Amino acid sequence: MSRAVGPVPVSLDPSVAPPGTRNFRDAGGIPADQWHANQVKQTLVPTHCCFCGVQCGMYLRVDERGKVFGVEPRNHDINRSRLCPKGLNAYQQVNHPDRLTAPLLRRSRDEPFREASWEEALDFTAAEVRRIQTAYGRDAFGLLGGASLFSEKTYLVGKFARVALKTRHVDYNGRLCMVSAAGANKLAFGIDRAANPFADILQTDCLLIAGSNVGECFPVMTQYLWGARDRGAKLIVVDPRETAVARTADIHVALRSGTDAAFFNSVLHVVIREGLTDDAFLAEHTTGWDELRATVAEYPPKLAAEICGIPDVQIEQVARMFGTAKKAMAWHARGIEHHTQGVENCLTVINLCTATGNLGRPGAGYGTITGQGNGQGGREHGQKSDLLPGGRSIANPEHRRWISEFWGIDEAELPQAGTSMMEMVWQMQRQEIRGLIGICNNPFVSLPNYAVVKDGYDTLDFHAQFDFFLSETAANAHVVFPVTTWAEDEGVMANAEARVVKHNKAQEPPPGVRTDTWVMCELARRLGAADKFDFAGSREVFDELRAASAGSVNDYYGITYERLEQTGGIAWPCPDLDHPGTPRLFEGGLTYHPDQKVHLQTVEWHPPADRFDEQYPMRLTTGRTVAHFLSGNQTRRLGALVEQTPRPWVELHPSHGYRNGDPVRVTTRRGSEVLPALVTEAIRPDHVFIPYHWPFPTSANALTIDALDPRSKIPEYKVCACRIDSAPAVDPVPAPPMPPGRSAYPEAQASRDDPLPPSSPQGRGTGEVR
Amino acid sequence: MMGRTLFIDPGRCIGCQACVSGCRECDSHRGKSMIHLDYPDEGSSVASLPTVCMHCEDPVAPCAEVCPAEAILISPDGVVHEADPTRCIGCSNCVNACPFGVPKIDLAAKLQLKCNLCYDRTSLGLAPMCATVCPTGALFYGTLEELQAERPGVDVSNWFEFGDVQITTGVAMVVPADRTRDPVPGGLPTLPLVQVNGRDTGGRVVSDAGGQL
Amino acid sequence: MGRRVRSRAVLVAAAVSLLLVLAIVLGSRGLRDFDSALIPYTVATIFLAFGVTYRYLMWISAPAAWRLFRQGLRTAFSRENFRRAPTSLPRMAATYLGFQRFLGARSHARWIAHQAMFWGCLLAVAITFPLTWGWFTFTASSADGPGYEMRVWGFKVLGFSSSSFFGWAMYHGLDLAAVLVIGGVGYFLWRRTRDRAATTGQRFGYDFLPLLALLTISVTGLLLTFSEICLHGGGYEFLAVTHMVSVVFTLVYLPFGKFFHIVQRPAAVGMALFKFQSRSRGEELFACRRCGTPIDTVPYLENLRGTMRDLDLGFDEWAEYCPRCKRVLRGSAYLQHVKRGFR
Repeated sequence: MSRAVGPVPVSLDPSVAPPGTRNFRDAGGIPADQWHANQVKQTLVPTHCCFCGVQCGMYLRVDERGKVFGVEPRNHDINRSRLCPKGLNAYQQVNHPDRLTAPLLRRSRDEPFREASWEEALDFTAAEVRRIQTAYGRDAFGLLGGASLFSEKTYLVGKFARVALKTRHVDYNGRLCMVSAAGANKLAFGIDRAANPFADILQTDCLLIAGSNVGECFPVMTQYLWGARDRGAKLIVVDPRETAVARTADIHVALRSGTDAAFFNSVLHVVIREGLTDDAFLAEHTTGWDELRATVAEYPPKLAAEICGIPDVQIEQVARMFGTAKKAMAWHARGIEHHTQGVENCLTVINLCTATGNLGRPGAGYGTITGQGNGQGGREHGQKSDLLPGGRSIANPEHRRWISEFWGIDEAELPQAGTSMMEMVWQMQRQEIRGLIGICNNPFVSLPNYAVVKDGYDTLDFHAQFDFFLSETAANAHVVFPVTTWAEDEGVMANAEARVVKHNKAQEPPPGVRTDTWVMCELARRLGAADKFDFAGSREVFDELRAASAGSVNDYYGITYERLEQTGGIAWPCPDLDHPGTPRLFEGGLTYHPDQKVHLQTVEWHPPADRFDEQYPMRLTTGRTVAHFLSGNQTRRLGALVEQTPRPWVELHPSHGYRNGDPVRVTTRRGSEVLPALVTEAIRPDHVFIPYHWPFPTSANALTIDALDPRSKIPEYKVCACRIDSAPAVDPVPAPPMPPGRSAYPEAQASRDDPLPPSSPQGRGTGEVR
Repeated sequence: MMGRTLFIDPGRCIGCQACVSGCRECDSHRGKSMIHLDYPDEGSSVASLPTVCMHCEDPVAPCAEVCPAEAILISPDGVVHEADPTRCIGCSNCVNACPFGVPKIDLAAKLQLKCNLCYDRTSLGLAPMCATVCPTGALFYGTLEELQAERPGVDVSNWFEFGDVQITTGVAMVVPADRTRDPVPGGLPTLPLVQVNGRDTGGRVVSDAGGQL
Repeated sequence: MGRRVRSRAVLVAAAVSLLLVLAIVLGSRGLRDFDSALIPYTVATIFLAFGVTYRYLMWISAPAAWRLFRQGLRTAFSRENFRRAPTSLPRMAATYLGFQRFLGARSHARWIAHQAMFWGCLLAVAITFPLTWGWFTFTASSADGPGYEMRVWGFKVLGFSSSSFFGWAMYHGLDLAAVLVIGGVGYFLWRRTRDRAATTGQRFGYDFLPLLALLTISVTGLLLTFSEICLHGGGYEFLAVTHMVSVVFTLVYLPFGKFFHIVQRPAAVGMALFKFQSRSRGEELFACRRCGTPIDTVPYLENLRGTMRDLDLGFDEWAEYCPRCKRVLRGSAYLQHVKRGFR
């Protein structure tokens, strides 16, 4: 059994144990003896998670000194005490050593940042705004918001752009997330939100999940899927990867990425062929059915199966399962939305639900799962380039007049619609936009085609960024404003069900940190709009938001902080203070179009923007992993999450001959990166997958294509052409940026150098050898 | 057979590791996670398996039996506790004897640590942290009746088989209703393993680099 | 086994107690140096000797402890150990038993508090036990001078002046010990009321009683000095009785409660030596049969498997797999034989 190799110096402590048994994933890297569980008194502050669109309720534990120190599950009816690893670790951001606590400033990008006073940073920013706008016109200054902001702040972003900056160039990072579904919903229903609450899922007989890795991106929503299945529902999952929910699904349609429209058209084709349509519903509540029927007639299963790379019987199985169910429901997410025909893909799902009469009933309906915490609320109140508060259109003269009057400005002063986030970057490259303020976003990680994004931002004369950790984008700016985390201010968010929930303030911001609201108001004051930005805090902003949305489709007027605290959430539209909210839309088949009908839209499938040829034969698709959130600026600093998933990988099928951990170079027409291979049969052989939470040079978005959907302007993240070959070594994951003289909390970064992929897309198992 | 206990259903598990993060937040664990989450189907699927202490009933707690320091207490309610820190000498006997691979060890502190069913919570009637936060109900805390009320038709088994040995436990796993007659396989291979994922195995001995491993 | 082991343990313990009585008689020069006021203490120490021996024998007769006890002793006294690493035993004893470095890894505060308590108790024992047994005597070298001499077993060891620092320290050694113990106990009592990890499942008899006993001993001991110096003996008698009762209780209780870890802890040294011997020979570690990661030393694993067989735990072969592989194999067996998916 043993082979003597001569005496070896052994430390006096000879203990040894298999790796998986002796490494502990300490909380945020805090060693055990610094763990302060010795709290005899605590305050539980009820609030919600800051991360995804499910908006799970949670309590933040606050100690006697008023500091957040932990989390306790909360039996809120969205999540019933359940939380995912991101939510459980969210509290660690609040008093994290990496927090920014003073404004950072530099006159040029060649200089290092220096800490500046708030006065200096605000004055400098206001002066730069004035200089650029005077020299190059008002529209030369842009503003980019974010959908993780409270709705109050998203309202302020829109108002700040239109009233203080008076620029047309305002947009937000929901453009990378939700806009395809929004566009489709508007076209079909005249209202932009999910049609049913999560609770309706429990009553369905057949649930179709298209392009959503629910188990990883919305883990807590899984309980609704499983709950439905416990009651006998069938589950259909459409995804090129066999994700955790796809693994056990009744039917898993592993189609080629970018072929969703062909698939759903064909499913509808079979539904019609087999007489499973709800003709009464179609006759009474829809327009455009004949055109639609004619279009899908061109998509027989044989043809679609060839396009999608799946067996044609699967299409028939899906059609029968969905079509014969008494109550069926479809939910989709970025998988079908992140395409150059993202809007159209969503329309094909809407068409299927409508044609089978599955709308507006408990257990029957349609929904889109928002990715960001306030992905729904963030697009409703005016930070989107073409929208005004209440989801009003900036192109509609009536809406323009109403809002100009409400804001007390001259309608001529109100800018016209601007461009989308990616288009703004192209405009930066062309120097049409010369100055930019970014609030709560990190495009260096989140926008496609990193090289273009970096070039665009580098071309800016002036760039300011709001954040509480120094993001990759902020690290490239001239001014960085340190702002609050979600736990240090109050406000509302609307989750994927369009349920407005209230986040409560759990602790005072650290010294030197201000709320985004305060910073925007101070900047507006310096830009001469003090009277329009006289807000003490979120509460005052919310009251103005409510009034601004009154009478619109997205009516918040009846929602107040007090009502939210009493109820645990109200779904808009809620036009008056006695209105109970509207959890379920389209009851009785009535939509929000003037004719109250579903406007069915025909869709023709077209191939993705990137060309597939001999050089780039494979499909690259991107997505999330459960331990990280969006651009990772928050989660890549939390020790437990870094431990779970320290680095990105490239997921590929064993048929390519690579072994787990081999360095594999993925090359697209935009760049190439070397990542460790995670070899698994749970992905199509013609696909590779890379999670996108990490920055260059391990960024999936250095490879993705900046092609946009013509209607929603969403980039085609989910498919582009690539090739793979072997490489000598993997690219290292860079440390999260920090201001000069500081380095990222080392305990939290301990495992970042791990060159190996996790054993499964959900992360490294707890017992893995490292 | 069982009172309030944990029920594990790997079929519902999505491998998100909320349990791992949740475990850490339990005050009595001082920021250390005791739960295990493994991906046993690596390379083929994303299937996952959470492992908490099974609180063995027959034989009663092999970990406690092999402990040379009488450090592992079993309370009258059947909960097998983590090692008493005053007694534990850090020998790893429990780590390597446990048939389910549960105990962990802090080598520097000479201290074993393991799932104690969140005794600070369960003794007050709360569910353990892992079962409270589990997004899918793969970890469920309650009585069998409560479980079956939520999931009609499920059955459970607390009867495991390791080679010729059978073990009954305080924590149970969900099994199909037609599968309760036989014990749940514990995984002990009946044939010698020759290769795993292309790597040779077979009791291979690796070289000791000296010092701490 | 139960009854035979127990009666053997009783016999050996009685023999050890008798030996102690003999040593007391001899060491106090036929009870000439014996202070009859200390009889209750003496009796308690004899009970202690009985109790510790009995409990120790009962403890090591359990399979796991017995195997480790044998392996530890065999290693410690093996010629190889003396030849190859003569310093390992004393060094390990110093780190594990004296400075208790492993406690620092658990928590620095606990380490400091435990060290204070440990050295305080050790000091107190070193002073009081020989005095109780009549092994030490302090006699004035002259009728009225400050000179004292210390005698061990009747032999003069050293003389000192009571007004010197050494004299002061000798006189107040127990007070110093009491202060150390009170500091340590105070911290642990505070922790037992606040630290949620410590309070979980704590029991009064096991966790609080030892601390309270030590606290009573130390406080009453200090108060005795206080009464002597400041109160001219006020309340002395009550304090003396309380002190005595708490000491006697502690000594009698020691083998049966938390304090038994004092007797057990040397097993950590035995365990470390046992693993150290294999590793210092350069022997390779036993590797998991499935994944090849090292589990522990080969002799250790054989010892464990033997223990498991002794205990009729028939799955000792399973110990050749690392814990992760056990779980992974169980997971794939479940997928294969129980259910693969949701239902």
